[in-house]
Amino acid sequence: MGQASSAHMRMAKYTIRRLLQALPVFIGITVITFFLINAIPGDPARILLGPGGNAEMVEQVRARYGLDQPLWKRYLNYLAGVLQGDLGTSIHFRGRPVVAKILERLPVTMLMMVSAFAFAISTAIPLGIVAANRRNKPTDHVSRVAALIGVSTPSFWIGLMLIIVFSFHLDVLPASGLILPWAAPSAVEGASTRSDVLLQAAQHLIMPTITLGTLYMAAVMRIERSSMLDVLNQPYIQLARAYGVGERTILRKHAFQNAQLPIITVLGLQLTSAFGGAVLTETVFNINGMGRLIITGINNQDYQLVMGTTLCFGVTFVIGVIITDLLYAYIDPRVSYGEEAV
Amino acid sequence: MATDNSLPQNVVRDERRELPEDADEDEVEARVGLRYAASQVMADPTARVGMVFIAVMVAIASFAAIDSYVFNYALAGRFWHSPIQAQPGATGLLPPVGFENGYGQGTWKYPLGTDHRGRGILVRLVYGSRIAMMVGIVSTGIGMSAGTIVGAVAGYYGGWIDDVLMRIVETIYAIPFLILVIAFMTAFGRDLQYAMVGVGLASIPVFARLIRSEVFSVREEEYVEAARAVGMKDRNIILQNVIPNSFGPVVVQATLQVGVNILTVAGLSFLGFGAQPPTASWGQMLAQSRGYMLPDPWFSVWPGLAILFTVIGFNLLGDGLRDALDPRLQNQR
Repeated sequence: MGQASSAHMRMAKYTIRRLLQALPVFIGITVITFFLINAIPGDPARILLGPGGNAEMVEQVRARYGLDQPLWKRYLNYLAGVLQGDLGTSIHFRGRPVVAKILERLPVTMLMMVSAFAFAISTAIPLGIVAANRRNKPTDHVSRVAALIGVSTPSFWIGLMLIIVFSFHLDVLPASGLILPWAAPSAVEGASTRSDVLLQAAQHLIMPTITLGTLYMAAVMRIERSSMLDVLNQPYIQLARAYGVGERTILRKHAFQNAQLPIITVLGLQLTSAFGGAVLTETVFNINGMGRLIITGINNQDYQLVMGTTLCFGVTFVIGVIITDLLYAYIDPRVSYGEEAV
Repeated sequence: MATDNSLPQNVVRDERRELPEDADEDEVEARVGLRYAASQVMADPTARVGMVFIAVMVAIASFAAIDSYVFNYALAGRFWHSPIQAQPGATGLLPPVGFENGYGQGTWKYPLGTDHRGRGILVRLVYGSRIAMMVGIVSTGIGMSAGTIVGAVAGYYGGWIDDVLMRIVETIYAIPFLILVIAFMTAFGRDLQYAMVGVGLASIPVFARLIRSEVFSVREEEYVEAARAVGMKDRNIILQNVIPNSFGPVVVQATLQVGVNILTVAGLSFLGFGAQPPTASWGQMLAQSRGYMLPDPWFSVWPGLAILFTVIGFNLLGDGLRDALDPRLQNQR
């Protein structure tokens, strides 16, 4: 009992320490994005006003968004705002708070990403185990070639091919947009009940999920296979075999859990590349999510919007990595939290 | 001590070391080790297939590069047709040979069909390979050299130097790769050279982290301590001992990273960042094909297959290299 609660304490301490360690990373993200965006030639106020803006109007806009101040001062102002939970206002979206814009778009991207990762994990782990178990047999060869193709295919091209087949030729799935399953039926075109909304949401979600998820499915499958093979060669598994334990029991009880450790790490680290994949997937399917929001921001030099979204990605990534570490420790009790030095 | 010759792993990993004139026994053995590693790679069927794929792409890309830089597309125009300008009277969106669509029938003149401007898709794919190979390899080279230096310095010195460098690397890593490159390109320019530099900079973390962890394991080796004991400068120890001995995994990672970077650059071009029209690049062709997916789906099929073929080549070679160079993985084949 006492041991369990002290383990919880250690875990909590560890989480807090990891968050503190991540602070410089957050500041670094703001520095890099701020100066990159401000290095873009051109004046956001002029972009906003278009060709019709005269000098006086430009001055007004510059004053309104603080663009007339020196760069370092703008950066410090921005940072002070972030510490108070204020990500600033978007110039492109006529002064709307960046936080509001992110809250509007984030659920869409998160839905897509969670769905893609769920698809990847739920298909890749069984396939990887089967491949490891039938090593060098036809099943293994087929699944290895499939995984190789999966990690070598441009995700957005998969999206285009899916649209051609399932939207244009078979006409069974919608080619663009995404519908949130919790959206009000009145807000969704052609839906009158909750089940209509759910059905439409599922239909819209299938192709983006496959587009974004295939790469991770293939990557996880490759690791799952080699990790399973690795574990199955361990002495303790050989001992279990020598004792006459059945192959199924060995797989399920003794090998499976330990073989999942590398997968967890990889999934955590894949999070950032998945954000990049989300940008492409959202472009292919015309989905208004975070990815397209950030592209809009970059194209319009809306630096507060870009920094807000990038920070949001960075925070999600760091939290993802921390969750990974904690999961790792949960599955593998040998992992210490760095307190009792080995 | 340093005269201990029983370092089989290091022998295998020593493939980068140049053989000096006055080579002693150790170095001869390292060279034998290099030959051994090369024969291991050649014996690996995965690596061989990968090398064939890459050789095909290198040959095609070299032809395209020579023609475009030296002859200003004269070769293609003379023997075939130009990749950047449609022939007079050419029909757009023709299907491949043996197929028919609303725009006409496929002809052998354009084996894979034509794009929306009536240019041959095959010839544009050939010229697009130049961009993909160049950007993939150059950006990986940038990331690998910079990442190796950062990782080696961080790993060798440890302490606050390690802390500072790795925080910077983590920061770069925490910003999504594609978004970082897009921001970089918007700030400095949308052209190809910025794509190479941007993707290169963004791939620093992968190499820095890899080298750093390798260096941590090499740092305490006896020969490094011996070098320190005889008063070798830190810089020389890093360059001559530490980096060469952690290079095996880096070669593997670099091969795989070329594939990743080709995919990234294709994605960038698809979003409009990269080689600008009329120069052909695969990602840009896919972006152009989006408007014609219903009348002429073939237009969207080919550039994707070209990317797939090239990236598979690098992935196969990378997997083969890993199998051949890392004896620990033998049981997983």
